[in-house]
Amino acid sequence: MQILIVGGGTGGTILGNSLARRLASEIRAGKVRITLLSASDKHMYQPGLLYVAFGQMTPDQLYRDEASLLESSIDFHVDPVTEFHLDRNEVKTGSGKTYAYDLLVIATGARIVPQEVPGMAEGSENFYTEEGALRLHKRLMEFRGGTVAMVVSLPHKCPVAPIEAMFLLHDFFKARNIRDKVKLQYNYPVNHVHATANVARWAKPEFDKAGIEYETLFNVREVDPVKKIVYSEEGTECKYDLLIAIPPHRGMEMVETNNLGLGGWIPTDRFKLTMNDHDNVYVIGDATNIPVSKTGSAAHFEAEVASDNIVSVIKTGVPVREYDGRVYCFIEAGFDRATHNAFDYINLPELKPPTKSVHWFKVAYNQMYWSTVRGLL
Amino acid sequence: MSTDTEFAPASVAGERGGIAPSVLEQLAEIAMLIGSARDAMSDEMVTRLARAISEGATLLDRLTRNEGLLQLLRVLERPEGQHLLIGLSKALDLMDRQVAAAPPSSGGIAGLWKLAREPGAQDAIRLLSILSQCWVESMRDAR
Repeated sequence: MQILIVGGGTGGTILGNSLARRLASEIRAGKVRITLLSASDKHMYQPGLLYVAFGQMTPDQLYRDEASLLESSIDFHVDPVTEFHLDRNEVKTGSGKTYAYDLLVIATGARIVPQEVPGMAEGSENFYTEEGALRLHKRLMEFRGGTVAMVVSLPHKCPVAPIEAMFLLHDFFKARNIRDKVKLQYNYPVNHVHATANVARWAKPEFDKAGIEYETLFNVREVDPVKKIVYSEEGTECKYDLLIAIPPHRGMEMVETNNLGLGGWIPTDRFKLTMNDHDNVYVIGDATNIPVSKTGSAAHFEAEVASDNIVSVIKTGVPVREYDGRVYCFIEAGFDRATHNAFDYINLPELKPPTKSVHWFKVAYNQMYWSTVRGLL
Repeated sequence: MSTDTEFAPASVAGERGGIAPSVLEQLAEIAMLIGSARDAMSDEMVTRLARAISEGATLLDRLTRNEGLLQLLRVLERPEGQHLLIGLSKALDLMDRQVAAAPPSSGGIAGLWKLAREPGAQDAIRLLSILSQCWVESMRDAR
């Protein structure tokens, strides 16, 4: 049995390690082989980028060698997939090699496409890449006063990140003693301050408490970097001195070029996590089109379900579990406090009042992440 | 019929059956201690602690799943295994001192002949020979 995992992010790494541990005897006996293909030899802790933007982490703290995170029995190659031939159970890679599989896992993640909004790439900053987070940090350090505006495109990785960023902005300028010279303006595309009603209900009074102004139903149409104005589809506009954009996201380009899914999101059974019409292809993490947050947490829980089912299919012939849409994430709430958000397909999130203890839990998790991807937590 | 007050220790029960002032003082002290610890903690301290725990857990996981190390541990658990380790550490210490004090070797066949005639050198060669034989056999068994 040849298991091929494409993608060495959170989902792919957790799944690979889980399978390698649970199928150790089959691997030793030569009955199972696990291969993981990644576009990079480095593994990035993506949630840390937000902390880099605010000077609370440095880029080197976000990276580990992917090989150091993987079980030694996994055959790991830095060789990005360029072509999927699902009809022949094969993929082709950048090096020209062909990898055959009995079971394929696609965990290729998502990418930002700020260029899809006119003026956004030139006129705004973001914290979704290392380069972007560092540039934003520099801009924030140089900022002396004025309006810092945020605009949000949906869907995007980590749905609570824009809210967290607003609270961190408040704390950041307060610590620099210029909060009274800075107007924080949050613009969100739906008619609440967050797409999830309960999160919105919690965040609104917290925004009021921090003096953060907000406008809802603001879908970005265009950014004018010269006049420093963002125009919305609804006909309103927002002037800014520093614009932070949550850019539009898409699935990976090669997913689109191989016609695996519209916008790069692969049609996936929300319970089985298999690609529609392809029972031997699992899809986990940001690459799916299932209605859950695009977060490392979702990728983690999906990887656990996929692992359970793959192991069960190999050992007993039938899958054993369904994904219930479980997601858990921390929300930094400013003032050294945080809360958490847990929900699934049926149960909506119920946010508790933020506390310092949960903030420390989040700070600790920034380090514990490496144990998580190794399959320990 | 007894009451809660009757069963409560004297230090806990107050004059009216509530919590004694001394207990309240102790609780307040504990709360102050926790508050003080919270104030003294910083994100950096939490980060360092979490990193140590995370790396420690990873190391422990690797060690406990390494069959070679576990086998070595099983051997060293036996008293004779521990004596072997103690003997080895003593030998290393002695060797270090003797090498530091010994003059440089003169070299040549004559020097080698002289060394080979020493009973200690012969014991050493025999020990290494037995070790090699056993090692080769165990490696064959493992395959």
